[in-house]
Amino acid sequence: MRFQLNFKAGKPVYLQLVDQVKAAAASGSAADGEPLPSIRPLAEELRVNRNTVAKAYAELESQGVIETIAGKGCFIKAHPSPFRKDVRLKLLTEEIDQAVVQAHHLQVERSAFLKLAESRFDAFANKRTRAAETV
Amino acid sequence: MSTSQPIIETSGLVRRFGHTDAVNGLDLRVEPGRCYGFFGRNGAGKTTTIKCLLNLVRPTSGSVRLFGQDPARHEVAVKSRLAYVPDVVAFYPWMTVRDTLDYFASFRQRWNRDIERALVDQFRLDLRQKTSHLSKGQRTQLGLITAIAAEPDLLVLDEPTSGLDPIVRREFIRTVIGAYQDAAPGERTVFVSTHLISEFEGLIDEFTIIDHGRSVLTLDADTARERYQKVYARFAGEPPALELAGAKVVRHRGREVEVVVNGNSRDVLARLKTYSPESVSTEALSLEEIFVTTLEPEGAVA
Repeated sequence: MRFQLNFKAGKPVYLQLVDQVKAAAASGSAADGEPLPSIRPLAEELRVNRNTVAKAYAELESQGVIETIAGKGCFIKAHPSPFRKDVRLKLLTEEIDQAVVQAHHLQVERSAFLKLAESRFDAFANKRTRAAETV
Repeated sequence: MSTSQPIIETSGLVRRFGHTDAVNGLDLRVEPGRCYGFFGRNGAGKTTTIKCLLNLVRPTSGSVRLFGQDPARHEVAVKSRLAYVPDVVAFYPWMTVRDTLDYFASFRQRWNRDIERALVDQFRLDLRQKTSHLSKGQRTQLGLITAIAAEPDLLVLDEPTSGLDPIVRREFIRTVIGAYQDAAPGERTVFVSTHLISEFEGLIDEFTIIDHGRSVLTLDADTARERYQKVYARFAGEPPALELAGAKVVRHRGREVEVVVNGNSRDVLARLKTYSPESVSTEALSLEEIFVTTLEPEGAVA
C-alpha cells in the first residue's frame, strides 16, 4: 500500500492516512487480510511522528476497517459489500463537495451543475461506445 | 493529557546579557511523549532558552522546571533523564569513535549497547577513527548515538540538521522517529529547535514560535494547518480596493489577489465573493509558511 501525505491539504495528517487505507480497502486495491506496514517503518518512511501513525491505526480499528492481531500486526478486515459501498459513496462525497464549492465560487447554479454532471456522464458513455466500435 | 506533569515548563523566563534581553518572559509547556518544535529566526533566543533548560546559564528571572524539578537545584537528577545534541558537536580529538562512546557511556546510568551498535552500523562509522577526522555529518551522527543510546526521557536538539547534507539530514530524522522512540513511544519526548522547519514538518505535533525572546505563537500542528489558509482569488478586471479586515494581503498583482487568513477563512471568503471574483481557491499553509507569515512585518506586501 502506498501513502501520500500533503501538509497543505488542511486536513490532519492522521486523517489522510485513515482515508487512504479506507479508500484502498473499499476499492479492493488492498485485499481482505492484507497486512499494513507496522508503525515504526511506516513512520520512518513517511517521516512523520509515530504517534500520527498510531492514531490513524487506532481510528481505523475503531471504525472496523482493520484489526490488530497481537504479535502479528494490523490487517485489513474482511467486510461485507454494503459497508464498502458506504465507504465508496463517502469518498465520492468529498470529491463532489469540492466541485459544489467550486460551482458556488463560480456562481454556477444547482440546475446548471446537475445538467453538466449529466452531460459528463453522457460524454464518457459516448467515448466508451466509440472506443468499442473502433475495436 | 494537560493534567499530567509537563516534561518542560518555563514561566516568565528572562535571560539578560548586558542590556539585551535574549529571552524576555517566555512561557513553555511541553507534555510527555510530544515532539515539540521550537522555531525562531537566528538570534530569536532559542539557544539561550535551551541553555537555561540545561542549566548552562542561569535565568535572570522566571522559572524553569524539567520533569517538575529545578535543573539548577537537581542538576544530576534532571540531566540523567535527558540528552542534548547541539548544532556543533565537540569531542576530544584524540579519542577514537569507540573511546568516545565508552566515555559518554561512563557518565550514564543506562546505555543500550544494541542501539549503539545498530546506529554505528547504520551510519557506517568506523570505531577506530579519531574524532578529529570525522566530517561534520559524522560528528552529528556520533552526537546522536551518544544521546539515543542513553535512552533519555527527553531529547533536546538544537539546530541539529543545519549545515548537513540532505542524506545525513534525512537519516538523522529517521533515527529520531525510529530508534529513539522505539522502546517507549508514548513517553519519549523530543524538543527540537530549528529554522529548517519543513524537514521536521511530519514529526512536530506542537510548536512555539519565538521572536525577540518571547513566544509569538503556540499551537498544535494539525490545528495550525487547519487554521492558517491561503486564499487565491482572480477577478475579471483590476480588483476593487478590497476591504478584508482580519486577512493579510500577501500578494496583489494584476487581476490576482492572495490573502492569508487565520481561522476566519469562511468569513473572508464570503466577503471576497461580494466582489464577484472569477475564481477562488484555498490551500493550507505548511508550518514553514505559518512561521514566515507570523514573523513577517505587517504590511510587507510585494
